[in-house]
Amino acid sequence: MSTPRERFKAVMHFRKPDVLPWLENVYDETLVQWLGQGLPAERVTVIDWEMGRGGTALANMVTVKGFNPYPLFGCQSLYGSLLQVDIGPIPRFKQMLVRESDRHLEYTTETGAVARRSKTGKYAWYSMPMFVEFPVKDRQTWYKYRERLNPLDPRRYPKDWDSDAYIRSFEAYQDGNTMMRFNGFYGFGAEIMGIPTFNMMFYKDPELIHDMIEYWEYFTVETIRSAVETLKNRIDVVYWWEDFADRHGPCISPKLFRDFFLPHYKRVIGFLAKNGIDRILMDSDGNINPILDLVVESGINGLWPLEVNSGMNAIEVRKKYGDKLFLIGNLDKSELAKGGQAMKKEVDSKVPVLKEMGGYIPGADHVIPVEMTLQRFKEYAEYIKPLLPY
Amino acid sequence: MTDVLDSIASAIAKLDPSDSAKALVTDALSQGMSPTAITENGIRRGLEIVGQKYEANEYFLSELLYAGSVVGELFDLLKPSMKDSQMRHKGTIVLGTVKGDIHDLGKNIFRMLADSSGFEVHDLGVDVEPTSFVNEVKQAHPQILGLSALLTTALEEMRNTLDELRTAGVKIDLRVLLGGNAVKREFSSEIGADAAAFDAVEGLEICKKWTDK
Repeated sequence: MSTPRERFKAVMHFRKPDVLPWLENVYDETLVQWLGQGLPAERVTVIDWEMGRGGTALANMVTVKGFNPYPLFGCQSLYGSLLQVDIGPIPRFKQMLVRESDRHLEYTTETGAVARRSKTGKYAWYSMPMFVEFPVKDRQTWYKYRERLNPLDPRRYPKDWDSDAYIRSFEAYQDGNTMMRFNGFYGFGAEIMGIPTFNMMFYKDPELIHDMIEYWEYFTVETIRSAVETLKNRIDVVYWWEDFADRHGPCISPKLFRDFFLPHYKRVIGFLAKNGIDRILMDSDGNINPILDLVVESGINGLWPLEVNSGMNAIEVRKKYGDKLFLIGNLDKSELAKGGQAMKKEVDSKVPVLKEMGGYIPGADHVIPVEMTLQRFKEYAEYIKPLLPY
Repeated sequence: MTDVLDSIASAIAKLDPSDSAKALVTDALSQGMSPTAITENGIRRGLEIVGQKYEANEYFLSELLYAGSVVGELFDLLKPSMKDSQMRHKGTIVLGTVKGDIHDLGKNIFRMLADSSGFEVHDLGVDVEPTSFVNEVKQAHPQILGLSALLTTALEEMRNTLDELRTAGVKIDLRVLLGGNAVKREFSSEIGADAAAFDAVEGLEICKKWTDK
């Protein structure tokens, strides 16, 4: 019997595993709700030894590291074993409260933005915060920000980064995929400038965008170089976060993508390929159909989450692009959350067909939302699991 | 249509630098053209072309936002020469993100387009209580109420707002338009809204249709 990792790798390379993997990603707030709905905490809590009190005590202490609910349901986490290479600003911006009203709190974030969250909402932390200010506004602020993006800063690697030990652990891991992740070029720019400013700047100051993108290519390659050249194809997949589309379509036109991004995509992906890493999974919400030809040309060869509400259809993508793209997700999360016939119809309409087509891993078409109750997720798990073996 | 107005429309539609468009507007004013004519036959015509290109997948969000920002600069240029009485309003829209949701990117894009297209927009901001919508509707007498939500968890507040409007007796002559990533068309029918827009441009087209006499 294959391991979850072997199954994942087989599907990414369009081979048939013995059992189709099933990948999900659950919001922390959903998980908190599930704990309240009867999810046994003792079975999903990850406890480990670590240096005490954030490294201030030279002593081994038992620490709650987080939660891993996936094995309990028979699925795996989308992220598997994620290599912790830091691509953020160093030093980080200090998180602090900057404004407060009756209903809202506004904080500076680690990336230098100001984010608003609700004081009164039922789901205060749910989903993305509303960003009200961004650290980069123009050339001057970009140059200032860039000082924190030194790829050679040793703090970018884990404290226990030791190449031999990591090679052994990446070889031994079998519970899912091994992964490295970073921001793509749009995901980087929009995150530090905000969506409206970044998008307008392609026309208002294209030279600034070129400068930012060129720097991000350099920064990305140099930051990940040590990990990539050490681990090589022990990294099963690179997770390339973009989020560059809404329901209407991509935020940037194919022309802008070609002019501003495409050469940089190719160079970063070329660097990965030279080191034997050949599976690149792009995360973009929204309708990316109008830009998919260029995405494929860039060397990206995997997609998640394929949002149904934005018009993405994995069967159509598979028919059009064949084995150029492995696909993960595309099960409408809102239909899954309804349970019963709605859930079954959604699963039945896609999983058996795509399973036969190959190169597809089932899962919700984004992170599991708070509307999904524990009971409904269990029902979904029980329904999908018998469909997975070949 | 005069050449300069065609040129203004074309500069906006072709996404020329804002300085070129501003020079054309200054030229039109110096030729004695009224701000209303410049607005209606130059600026708004250009923006309409941008909207059409967006719907045709020729333009995307970058182009829409850039064109909107150029149009904003052109209106700033025209304002000193424009009296309120010269503004031709297509209608009034009360707008806001419903209670429980603090996101406003899509709402703000819609507001920018609606503003530029001649609607008077009363934007109540984010996380708006149903009663605040009702009070503003009573006061401003809009033809349209636009409710936005990004989070699916805020959908129930759209339903609550509709209920409050009915209870207050102000829904009868009011069209309610839903927008935002969380909204599906079936949901709009389910709660008795008049329409759901897939994106800001479609939302604007719906509003124009509703207010065209």
